[in-house]
Amino acid sequence: MNSLILACTLVSIGIYGVLTRKELVAVLASIEVMLGGAQLLLAAYVAGTGAAAGSAQGITILVLSVGGAEAAVGLALLVALVRRGRTRTDQIEEVRG
Amino acid sequence: MTLLWAALAALTLVGAVCVIVAREMTRMLLGLGVFLLGVAGLYAYYGFELLAVAELFVYVGGVLVLFLFAITAIGRDREGRDIGRAFDISALVVSGSVGAAVAVALWTALPANEAAIGATVEKAGTALLGSLLPQFELVGLLLLAALAAALAVVGGGERR
Repeated sequence: MNSLILACTLVSIGIYGVLTRKELVAVLASIEVMLGGAQLLLAAYVAGTGAAAGSAQGITILVLSVGGAEAAVGLALLVALVRRGRTRTDQIEEVRG
Repeated sequence: MTLLWAALAALTLVGAVCVIVAREMTRMLLGLGVFLLGVAGLYAYYGFELLAVAELFVYVGGVLVLFLFAITAIGRDREGRDIGRAFDISALVVSGSVGAAVAVALWTALPANEAAIGATVEKAGTALLGSLLPQFELVGLLLLAALAAALAVVGGGERR
């Protein structure tokens, strides 16, 4: 139960960061916090039930990889936006290919 | 709840709060590092040594450096004065409600006590190259696509 409360608190903190921070780097960091909370919940669930520990560890590694890919693409988008002089979410008014 | 778990949880929470409270980018990054170290410590506490090491390598060693690079590229260390200063009650309500909803939904699914169970690298490897092989291959493709997308986005910006 403690892990559930911790993980949900982390997800809430991450959502609050995404909603309130305007700087793109801070928004990405808040998303990482949300992702960390979700991964922690998965690990805690497996630790509690004791079932299929190897598979759960594998799944968490896959989620971790997805998080790494998300950070790479997010930061690449950030660099592209910075070149256009935009570093805040409220400065992004259009999405164009 | 052991003292070690409580200490690691406190470390994780302090790092996470630092991420959303810090005004300076480098301090925010430091908070993110503390958060990730706490998460890695909790993985180790649950007996998932491979996950703890992977968290350290991928996030603390990779993603954090990438964030540092991005902050260097932005060239600004401090957010604008109007950013993140005001306490946003509506955001707090939304985030708190989502967290509470997840907690209520999973309340009965999670056991009362989480003990360290331990999962060897061999077990994880067997799972990744056994029942999880399709997902493992898909994640490899996803990482390749992410790399190509990142290069395309950055390269596309250079050409313009």
